[in-house]
Amino acid sequence: MTHIAFQPRGKNVELEADYVVVGSGAGGATAAVTLARGGARVAIVEAGPWRDPNDYPSSVYGAMRDMMEAWGANFTRGRAFWPVVQGSLVGGSTVINSAICVRTPADIFEQWQREHGIGDKTFAESIWRIEDELERELCSVEVPARARGRSNLLAKQGADALGYANHYMHRYVKDCHGDGQCLQGCRADNKQSLNRNFIPEVMKRGGDVVSCAPAERIHFERARAVAVSGRFKHPQTREKGAAFSVRAKRGVVVAASVTHSPILLMRSGVRNAQLGKGFRAHPGAPVFGCYDEPVDMNRGATQGWASVAYRENPGFKLETLSLPLDMLSGRLPGAGQALMERLTEFRQIAMWVQACRAETVGEVRSTLSGKPAVHYSLNRSDMLRFREGMYMVAKTHVAAGARAVLPAIFGMPYKLMPNEIEELREAPLDPRAYVSILSHLFGGCVMGKDAAHSVCDERGLVHGYDNLVIGDASAIPTNLGVNPQHTIMALAQHFSAGLLARA
Amino acid sequence: MIWLIKFAMGAIMPRSEMLPGIADTQLDGFLRKLRAEAEPIFWIGLVAGAVIFTFTPVLTLGWPVPAFCLSQRALDKHADRILAHRFYVVRQGVYLVRLSAGMCWGADPAVRALFALPAYPPDPGTFRTS
Repeated sequence: MTHIAFQPRGKNVELEADYVVVGSGAGGATAAVTLARGGARVAIVEAGPWRDPNDYPSSVYGAMRDMMEAWGANFTRGRAFWPVVQGSLVGGSTVINSAICVRTPADIFEQWQREHGIGDKTFAESIWRIEDELERELCSVEVPARARGRSNLLAKQGADALGYANHYMHRYVKDCHGDGQCLQGCRADNKQSLNRNFIPEVMKRGGDVVSCAPAERIHFERARAVAVSGRFKHPQTREKGAAFSVRAKRGVVVAASVTHSPILLMRSGVRNAQLGKGFRAHPGAPVFGCYDEPVDMNRGATQGWASVAYRENPGFKLETLSLPLDMLSGRLPGAGQALMERLTEFRQIAMWVQACRAETVGEVRSTLSGKPAVHYSLNRSDMLRFREGMYMVAKTHVAAGARAVLPAIFGMPYKLMPNEIEELREAPLDPRAYVSILSHLFGGCVMGKDAAHSVCDERGLVHGYDNLVIGDASAIPTNLGVNPQHTIMALAQHFSAGLLARA
Repeated sequence: MIWLIKFAMGAIMPRSEMLPGIADTQLDGFLRKLRAEAEPIFWIGLVAGAVIFTFTPVLTLGWPVPAFCLSQRALDKHADRILAHRFYVVRQGVYLVRLSAGMCWGADPAVRALFALPAYPPDPGTFRTS
């Protein structure tokens, strides 16, 4: 077992394994541990560095510098520039997310079967069985009472008063004390990020991890993937280092993320017109509630409450999401003395978000420099859904006792009194009026029955190749409408177990 | 260009009766670190945002002068209006300046103490090397 981090120019690094897994996030780490448990020797190739809880930053600045792809500065190309947030380190986005665990809804498999010819009853049952195992193994539990914090409690209170179904979240967290640091990595080491369990297990089973190593190309011999190569990149200086090459005796799993997986395949010469197509996301935006008493939203789980009552109709989910002061102070509308006056209310503010189950389809394309660019503009029907979600968050704040809501929408007043929130139903439908982010991404290498309309089949196997498997959310052909980590991990395990069985 | 960014950030987050402004924090050190560590595209965006902020009082106040010629009162009005300007590219350009200013201001120990938040320990910036 070896971990090889950045290597300066000089001697090239060459390794050999049964399987090479590109990427170490929810999909890559799960695929790697599945293959390693099956007795194979696995090498993980990860673009970012390996950081342990002692290395995690505390500030937002540190999180953007040390954990986010391109400092969180990737954004959509379209009518509005919305940030596309992805982790870039060993463990991927599982280090910086809230570890939310939601089973794949049954209607998703029905939709996959109807629209893509995949996902029959056997497939669904296999995924759910894996999800059962993952829940036990990674300790998926409801946010404990001591970690709920006032923001999550208020959200529950508001939703209960309105009478819609809602719940405290289930998350992969052991013994959470509600430090409110999920987005910067859990320094208390309670969150079950995959850099803390699956990846060390791969190493214990004889596997290798190559970090600070962006994969540039997959090499093929006819229809077989035989190696992955690239060049090390220093995570601080961005200096290019030695070249590396990892030979794959039995197969390659691509789990480099929704934005990078299709670009890597394109760069490697995979010919498929669907590469990069079918990009989907959950665009989300917050509505702030302003309360009489301090909420202190950074005390308690960063995300501890959710509702999927409106997931199917009109199509959004609701969640709490606490931003640290060093993010919120740049996020509230306004500037100058007006902004400073607004910031005095920080302790009284709770931030809850809606994430839209958008039907809009975008595309991941390669820029001239070979980096991925997401082309995506929300259409009108999604904007109607999006706006309705904003209204619902505001309504929940009011039901929870907020004395005002802060919609943070261009063209709307800074503050709406409880009797004014109906104005949100007339809020602009122009995406440029909102400061949204895309955090859950799908597609780009979508699975499907038909090789003309998909990149891989329901085994994750890329059409036309014998041993090249997609192992991340890029294979997911539709928007889930729920947090995707559980589904991504289950699919990755399902695909890699199949890869092992076929060897 | 650091002076230009400092000027824009100072106008966006000035000292108020209740709260310290960004000029009361370790802004120089923050910007030096940012210059050295940020992705080039991030830094270019920040400089562009500061330039937009400085040369657009004509769009917010109708005065064809750079923002550093404005009185304190007019500058405050300009700062508030430019971040709510009807041209998306203009307000979005300056947004990055406000976001970066917030990262500096909200991480300052004195500011955090005012909101009953603990001071952040230093960000180690370390990673496994073997």
